[in-house]
Amino acid sequence: MSRPDGRKLAFDECPSDSKPVKVEKWDLNAVKNALDDACKKALNEGYGCVEDHSLMDGRLAICTVAVAFSAFALVWDLLHPFPASRFVLFICSASYFVLMGVLTLYTSIREKSCCYVGRRKDPTGLDPDDVWLLSSNIRKFEPTYHLSVEYRPGGQSEGRHATLSKSVSEYFDETGTLDGDKLWSDLQRLAVSLQDGKKKQ
Amino acid sequence: MGLLELSCLDEVRRMDKRQLYYQFLNFAMIVSSALMIWKGLMVVTGSESPIVVVLSGSMEPAFHRGDLLFLTHDRSEPITVGEIVVFKVEGRDIPIVHRVIKLHGNEKGAHFLTKGDNNLVDDRGLYAPGQMWLTEKDVVGRARGFLPYVGMVTILMNDYPKLKYIVLATLGIFVLIHREN
Repeated sequence: MSRPDGRKLAFDECPSDSKPVKVEKWDLNAVKNALDDACKKALNEGYGCVEDHSLMDGRLAICTVAVAFSAFALVWDLLHPFPASRFVLFICSASYFVLMGVLTLYTSIREKSCCYVGRRKDPTGLDPDDVWLLSSNIRKFEPTYHLSVEYRPGGQSEGRHATLSKSVSEYFDETGTLDGDKLWSDLQRLAVSLQDGKKKQ
Repeated sequence: MGLLELSCLDEVRRMDKRQLYYQFLNFAMIVSSALMIWKGLMVVTGSESPIVVVLSGSMEPAFHRGDLLFLTHDRSEPITVGEIVVFKVEGRDIPIVHRVIKLHGNEKGAHFLTKGDNNLVDDRGLYAPGQMWLTEKDVVGRARGFLPYVGMVTILMNDYPKLKYIVLATLGIFVLIHREN
């Protein structure tokens, strides 16, 4: 499937799974993670996006620094038993809890429900990269998977949004096996609508 | 290899490097949070062991076996007769919770004698050989508050160490395998 301007939409080349994804269908987290991972895989392998890990890396960095403070406090206290270590313990403890606060702010404000950021090189090589953002959530006790796709064409800071809200039962069978093709075709439809919408401007 | 093929490990097998590292960080953060709360309490209370469990009935009817005690250790305040102190005898790990019954001197180098409320004799039998009095350096803290029964969990874990390891290992594995959002 290619478009008149020659840009090939590579979604048809759906990456075939070496092993079907099977999850515990009653576990909300497992279901959401499986859906998110399948979407990320579709964009990465099927659509040629390069995943931008900076949000995740930021979170990992904050957590690593916090654990480092805690490990330092442990070792220092072993080498210089309390009460000699009092000042160091105070600094490490306070820093740790401040970092936990920073982490909470980071996940709730900066990350929000964004689970994927991908960059796709412009085939003509002239424009800056297109950016694709995925956000998803499933509310507790509800079976609906809400996926929000944002498309920011080359260098723009404001993007176009499209959402998909479907019951998870449309993608999983009774055994909990994920129907990747169905998800990919829905995602493809959203992506195409966003790209076409852009061209109409 | 059979154990590694368990379906619950499917989730782990599908994770990439970052997600795997995040699982370990999650586990490390849970341990760190507990550690930092403990160290933070040490700093705030001034005691090297801010929370202790009463192991015997020697302080009945005030404290019973299994009670949780909250300690502070304000080194500027002198120890007085009648206070309930927690002390460690030199060379032994287990802290003892008894009441001060006699005091020699009132400066920093004060010596004091302790006795459990429910005991017939004073603690000289518990002190190190040749030691007749306790000093301030033996004291871990002074009892400021308590919670009844909560410490029974710790006593149970110490009486059956295998139970402790099984519970901790199970929790640890669960945290490492289970992927949160």
